[in-house]
Amino acid sequence: MHIEKQAVRIGFNPLTDCAALLMASVLGCDERHGIRIVPSREASWAGMRDKLVTGELDAAHALLGMVYGTQLGIGAQRHDMAVLMHLNRNGQAITLSRHLMAQGAVDGASLAGLLQSERRQYVFAQTFPTGTHAMWLYYWLAAHGIDPLRDVRAITIPPSQMVYNLAEGHMDGFCAGEPWGQRAVMDGIGVTVATSQQIWPDHPEKVLATSRAFADAHPNTCRALIAAVLEASRWIDASDENRRATAEILAGGAVVATDRAALLPRMLGRYDDGMGRQWQDAHPLAFHQDGQANYPYLSDGIWFMTQLRRWGLLKAHPDYEATARAVTRVQLYREAAELAGVTAPAGTARSSTLIDGRLWDGSDPERYALAFPIRQR
Amino acid sequence: MSRHLRIVLVHPPRESDASLRAAALQAGLAEAGYQLVASLPADIHLPERIAQLQPDMIIADAESDARDVLEHIVVATRDERRPIVMFTEDDKTSSMEAALEAGVSAYIVAGLQPERIKPVLNVALARFRKEQKLLHELADTKHKLAERKVIDRAKGVLMARHGISEDQAYQRLRTMAMNKNLKLAEVAQRLLDVEDLLG
Repeated sequence: MHIEKQAVRIGFNPLTDCAALLMASVLGCDERHGIRIVPSREASWAGMRDKLVTGELDAAHALLGMVYGTQLGIGAQRHDMAVLMHLNRNGQAITLSRHLMAQGAVDGASLAGLLQSERRQYVFAQTFPTGTHAMWLYYWLAAHGIDPLRDVRAITIPPSQMVYNLAEGHMDGFCAGEPWGQRAVMDGIGVTVATSQQIWPDHPEKVLATSRAFADAHPNTCRALIAAVLEASRWIDASDENRRATAEILAGGAVVATDRAALLPRMLGRYDDGMGRQWQDAHPLAFHQDGQANYPYLSDGIWFMTQLRRWGLLKAHPDYEATARAVTRVQLYREAAELAGVTAPAGTARSSTLIDGRLWDGSDPERYALAFPIRQR
Repeated sequence: MSRHLRIVLVHPPRESDASLRAAALQAGLAEAGYQLVASLPADIHLPERIAQLQPDMIIADAESDARDVLEHIVVATRDERRPIVMFTEDDKTSSMEAALEAGVSAYIVAGLQPERIKPVLNVALARFRKEQKLLHELADTKHKLAERKVIDRAKGVLMARHGISEDQAYQRLRTMAMNKNLKLAEVAQRLLDVEDLLG
């Protein structure tokens, strides 16, 4: 197999869920498949997207919603993108300030009650306008009768600034990836009122993205890359020992640069909400799940487009199915999965029930997007 | 023209290498004769401040995490776009050109000589205006095409109803438009509405 490009420059954001990309390089999975991963720590999602578009980065750890935002031209000029594989499921969280907790907001229902009784402007932060955290935050608020566009103010803040801004009282809560939820609890600044897996058990989160042009010109490089990251994902998920070793590497200054104590518990599925409840989560951050977590289901991508439409980021319905098919490299993934000895599911859609009891099976996105009582009109 | 540009420079919220770059750029802008209306920290108040100041151009560090906050502003103000200029340490001209294609108006390399800043900003602004003009023209053309379709359909209705030629149908629509002081497309749309109603 001729590898078109051997050194692959991959952007990552310093978060727990960039683990598989980094471990593919640390464990040497990349070399086994004839490539070399050159990780590049990036400061922002928008910067990462620009660098994918300009070709300064070959591939990146990306928010699934952001890939579709780029494909459909939300914010920046539209650009054809490709999703090679999914990197993880679950493991994000919604954190409220301790001040709000002291006023009785300990979950979605009590937050809705507080908004009714004490009227002022509430501010909630997410990490990117078309990103996954914005969608989890909006979905969760709306599921409790809170309109994220009218009843509160939603802002964008970099993940690493969340805890600081919450401590300073600049905002009431945030939705971000780990370790920032755990960090807020550890530092006694916030409490975890919902995990993203409570909103959608086994939801898709970060993906490995490239521009369409890169995927078209470098199919063998992409296959090798997917196979290498699949092997690393399988290794991380194989044991708690491996997760500990991964946390050790992530905690280092070149990656997330935070205490291992903030990273490790939730990587092992051990949660502490900061309000006295501790539990072993049934749907913790997953990197592999025998390949289930990595398979790029079309219905997962379509779901994000329904939410972009729901919140008015898309002014009209896109061609959901055709867009998802153009972006998602299912065939490339299948071939790479075979190289790595990973089984790929047969279908391209899966069905899940979300926190508001609604069933999502990918079958009628237009109707699904319009069926929510709370949405932009 | 350039002397009256209202420029806002966005700097990281806390001290870092990036804010040193911002300070250097600020000095360069001043030397080049630009008036900065504000140098704002990229914190949670940024969107409000930008909304108040309504600058002609925003300049920010491409390598800062404040980029995502700026992205929020871009998405929230999609209907009233303004040029955004990024500065970076990366001097690969290829990536700058591609960035221009991608919709960011310009990438300036930090440490750029003050005398070079002015032409770069002027090009960025010109480019942004041209792009806006093209977008408007595109919207205009689409609108005209849609009108054309409505008029053609209305002509078809008249021709079938009255057994007249295309030219005669067009004359009738035009006379009606002049008498009612309406646009041709509006008359055509009304005719189609009535047609829909009566079947």
